[in-house]
Amino acid sequence: MKLVTAIVKPHRIDDVKDALREIGVSGLTTTDVEGFGRQRGHTEVYRGAEYQVDFVPKVKVEIVVDDGDVDGVVDAIVKAARTGKIGDGKLWVGEVERVMRIRTGEMGPDALSG
Amino acid sequence: MSVSDPAADLREQLRALERAYTIGHHGPGAARRRAGLVDACLVDLFERAGAPAGVAILAIGGYGRMVQLPASDIDLLVVHDDDAAIGATVDALLYPLWDAGLAVGHAVRTPAECLAATERFDAWTAMLDGRLVAGDETLAERALAPVRARAREDPVGFARRLRDAADARRGRFGSSAHLLEPDLKEGSGGLRDVASLGWLATALGTDLESAGVVRARERAAVDAGAAFLVRARSAVQLLTGRRADRLVTELQPDVAREMGFIDEPGLLATDGLMRSLFEHARNVEHVAGLALARATAGTTRDPVVIADPGAILEALADAAEGGEVLSVGLLDAIEDVRIPDRVDWDARTRAAFLRLLRAGRSGAGMFDVLDRVGLLARFMPAWAGVRCRPQRDPYHRSTVDAHLVAAAARMAELLTASGDAGDPIELAAVAQVERPDAMLLGALLHDVGKIGAGGHVPIGVAIARDTLEAMGVAGPVRDLAVFLVEEHLLLPDTATRRDLSDEDLLLDIAARVGTPERLGALYLLAKADAFATGPAAWTPWRETLVRELVAKVQRVFDRGEMGEELAARLAERTERLRQLLDGEPEEQIDRFILRVPRSYLLAVDPARAAEHFRIVMPSLGRNEVRTMSSEGSRAGTYEVVVVASDRPGLLSWIAGALAIGGISILAAQAFTTEDRTAIDVFEVEGAFEPEITEARWRAFRNTLRRTIEGSISLEHRVREKGRHYPRPRTPSPVTIRVLNDVSEFSTVIEVGASDRIGLLHDITRTFADLHLGVHLAKVATFDGRVVDAFYVRDELGRKVTEHSLLSGVESALRERLEP
Repeated sequence: MKLVTAIVKPHRIDDVKDALREIGVSGLTTTDVEGFGRQRGHTEVYRGAEYQVDFVPKVKVEIVVDDGDVDGVVDAIVKAARTGKIGDGKLWVGEVERVMRIRTGEMGPDALSG
Repeated sequence: MSVSDPAADLREQLRALERAYTIGHHGPGAARRRAGLVDACLVDLFERAGAPAGVAILAIGGYGRMVQLPASDIDLLVVHDDDAAIGATVDALLYPLWDAGLAVGHAVRTPAECLAATERFDAWTAMLDGRLVAGDETLAERALAPVRARAREDPVGFARRLRDAADARRGRFGSSAHLLEPDLKEGSGGLRDVASLGWLATALGTDLESAGVVRARERAAVDAGAAFLVRARSAVQLLTGRRADRLVTELQPDVAREMGFIDEPGLLATDGLMRSLFEHARNVEHVAGLALARATAGTTRDPVVIADPGAILEALADAAEGGEVLSVGLLDAIEDVRIPDRVDWDARTRAAFLRLLRAGRSGAGMFDVLDRVGLLARFMPAWAGVRCRPQRDPYHRSTVDAHLVAAAARMAELLTASGDAGDPIELAAVAQVERPDAMLLGALLHDVGKIGAGGHVPIGVAIARDTLEAMGVAGPVRDLAVFLVEEHLLLPDTATRRDLSDEDLLLDIAARVGTPERLGALYLLAKADAFATGPAAWTPWRETLVRELVAKVQRVFDRGEMGEELAARLAERTERLRQLLDGEPEEQIDRFILRVPRSYLLAVDPARAAEHFRIVMPSLGRNEVRTMSSEGSRAGTYEVVVVASDRPGLLSWIAGALAIGGISILAAQAFTTEDRTAIDVFEVEGAFEPEITEARWRAFRNTLRRTIEGSISLEHRVREKGRHYPRPRTPSPVTIRVLNDVSEFSTVIEVGASDRIGLLHDITRTFADLHLGVHLAKVATFDGRVVDAFYVRDELGRKVTEHSLLSGVESALRERLEP
C-alpha cells in the first residue's frame, strides 16, 4: 500500500475530489495547510499599507491506496490540480506499512475498500 | 424472617421510577420522588446501624434541594460530635449503597469542620442546600447554622463570589443559552445558575422578591426554565446511562423525540428542542445575572417612568453607555410600557437604537435584555424568525440571533479601532468607513434570512430591506446595509473557492462590489462575522486568502480597471449582447460571456461580439483558423476577426500573413479566452487597392493555416516583401516603455514606431522568440506612426519580473525595429 500526498491550490480541491471519486476512490483526507516552495512569500499592498505574506495557503490531500491503484490516483490528481501556472503544488508517494480500520479491526487492503 | 436489603430495594424503586415516566418526562416531580426514595432508604439504613446518638445524616447539593437526577451522585454529609466510632456508622450506611451499585458522594465532618469547609466555595454552597435526613436534629442545626450565618454576614461579598463563580463557569463551559452543544448543568443559564439563586436567597435571609433582586415575573420564568432543564438533563442521563450534562449533537434527535418535539414546517424537531431550551436557558441566565448584579451593586427599586417604546431604547442606551446595572425599577417600568405588537419607529427610537448598536458589547447586553423581556421582536418583527434558532454547520457555535448580536458588537469594536491592530487591511478599511451605522445595521442583519426556508441570502435581503424601511433607515445607509446582507459571503466564498490569479474573476468581483468603500466594508463584515461564528471560521489560512483577494480587487479599483461606471457599462453591454443573441441556446450564451475576457466585452461593440459568437462557439480544431470580415468603421476599411487556438507567436503569424496578403493593419485588439482561444480583431485596409477581394482573404487564410501547420516560413517571406518597399524617409524614433505596475497579471510593453510593412509582425515575433505570450494587445496607427500596447506574460502565465528578461525585451525590440 502507498500513501499519496498532494499539496494543491485551494480552488482546485473540488475538482481533485471529483476526479478521484470518478475513478472510485472512496475516501481521502484534506487539511488546510500553509507553506512555500518556489512560489515564495511576498509583500502585499492594500491602499498603501504593506504587509508580509510568509506562507501561501494550500490544501493537502492524503489518500492511502493499494499498490495497483497508485498510477491512476496520481494521474487523476495531477490532471485535476494543474492550471499551468506557478504554485500548482507538489505530489509524492510513500510506502505504508500497515493500515487498519479502527471500527472493525480489518487490516491491509480490506481496510481500504468499501 | 427474610433479611431485606434497603439499598437493593432502593435500586429497584429507582428503576421502577425510571419506567414510570417516559425518558423525556423526568422533571422536578420525578427528581423530588427520587430524593424521597433515597431519604427513606437512608432512614432505614440509619435505624439498622442502631441510630447512634450524636450523629446526623444530611442531604446536600442537588439531593439536599430535592433535585436528584437519574445518574447524579447521592451527596451525603455525615455530621458527628467527634465520635470515635463514626467510621463504623458510615460504613454501615455506605457499603450497602455501594454494593447496590449506587453512586454516593460523601463527607464526614464535625460542626467545626463544617465551618472550616466553607473555605472551599463549592463545599460551602453544597452545605447551604443541606437538610436533615436522619439523626440528631440539634447537631445538624449546630453544623448548618454557622455555615448559613457566614453567608449572611456579608451578603454583598457572598453575591460577588457567586458572580465570580458564574463568570468562571461561563468562561469554561460557555452559555447554555445559545451554544449549540450546551452544558445543561455548568453552562451559563444552566442548573447551577438556578441553584445560585437559592444560595443568594439564603445569604440575603429572605426570598429574592422581597429583597428586591428578582421580580415575580422573573421568578416564574426561572422556575419554568429549571423544570425544562431538569427534564432535558435527566433525558441525557437516561439515554447515555451516565452522569452526563452536555447535550451533544448526536443526542439531540433522541432527546427531542423523548421530550415530544416533532418536525414542523421550517423547524425540525431537534431545532424545536434546542429553541425551547435556549429560551429557557436565556431566562435563567438573564435573571441569575441580573439578580447577582443587583445584589452586588445594590440597585434601587425606585420607580422609573417610561412613556413609550422610544424611551425604553433611550433608557437602555443610557445604561449601555454608562455601563450601568439595570435596576428592578427600570425593568419593571420597561415591562409596564404599553407596546403595540409592532412598534412605529420615529427619529428618537432610531437614534436610540443606533446608540445601542454603537455601544458594542454593553449594547449587545441590552439587546439580550430586550430579547428576554420579549420586546426585540416588537421593534423588529423579523427577529422572531431567527430567535433561538440553532444552526447546523461545522463552524457556528451559537444560535442565529446570538450570532447576529455578537457580529454587530464586534463590528462596533472594529469601527472604534479596538480590533486587530496587526491587520493593516482592517486599519485601512476602518479609516475609509463613511457610514458606520450602515456597517452596524448590516452586521446585525446579515444572517436575518436564516429562518429555515432555504437560501438565506436572498431571503435576508428582502427581510433586511423591509426591516430598514420600517425603521425609517433610507438612502445610502440603507443601500450599504442591504448590500452587506446581500454580499456578506462574497469575499470568504470567493477567496477559498476561486482562482485568485484569474484576472476576469477579479474584475467581476470589483464590478459586483462597485467601490473601494464597499470592498473595505465587506472585509470588516467578514471579520466581524467570523469572530462571532467561532474559532474555526477565521484561521490564518482563510485570512491570508481573503486578504489576497481584497488587496487584488483594491488594485483593480486603484488602476481604474473597474469602477461603478465601468461596471455599469459592462452590465449594459452584456445585456445588449444577450438581447442580440436572443434565440441562441441560453447556456451557449452564458458560456460565451464567461469565456471571453471582460476587456473584450468592454472594447468590442455588442453587435460585433454577437457576430463573433458564431465563429467562436463551435469547437475549434487544433490547426483550424476562422476569419470573418465586414465593413470597417470608415469608408474603405474592413474589420476582420481571426479565431484560432492560441499559441506562442500566433499574433505575429496573423500580422505576417496580413502583410504578405497586401493588407495593412490600422488597428488591432488581441484577446485570449479563458480556454486559450485567441480572438484577434483587426481594422485593415488594402495596401495597394481599396477593395479587399475574397481571393485576397482566401490567400491570407491559406498563408496563416500553412504557417500554423509549419509548412512555410513566414518570417522569410515578410522580410522579402519588405525589401521591395522603401522605408519611411523621415523615420520617427522608436520608443519602448516596459511597465510593470499597470496590470496585476501582465507586464505592459508600449512600443511606438513609424509604420511600415510587417511592423506588427516584427514586434510580436520578438515576444515569441523570448517565450512571452501576448495576452492582450491594442494597436493603433496615427498619421504614419504606430502606437501599440502589449500585455505580455511568461511561459508560466506570470507577469515578467526578472530584470534581465525585461531589459532583454527592450534591447531585442530596438535591434529589430531601429533602422
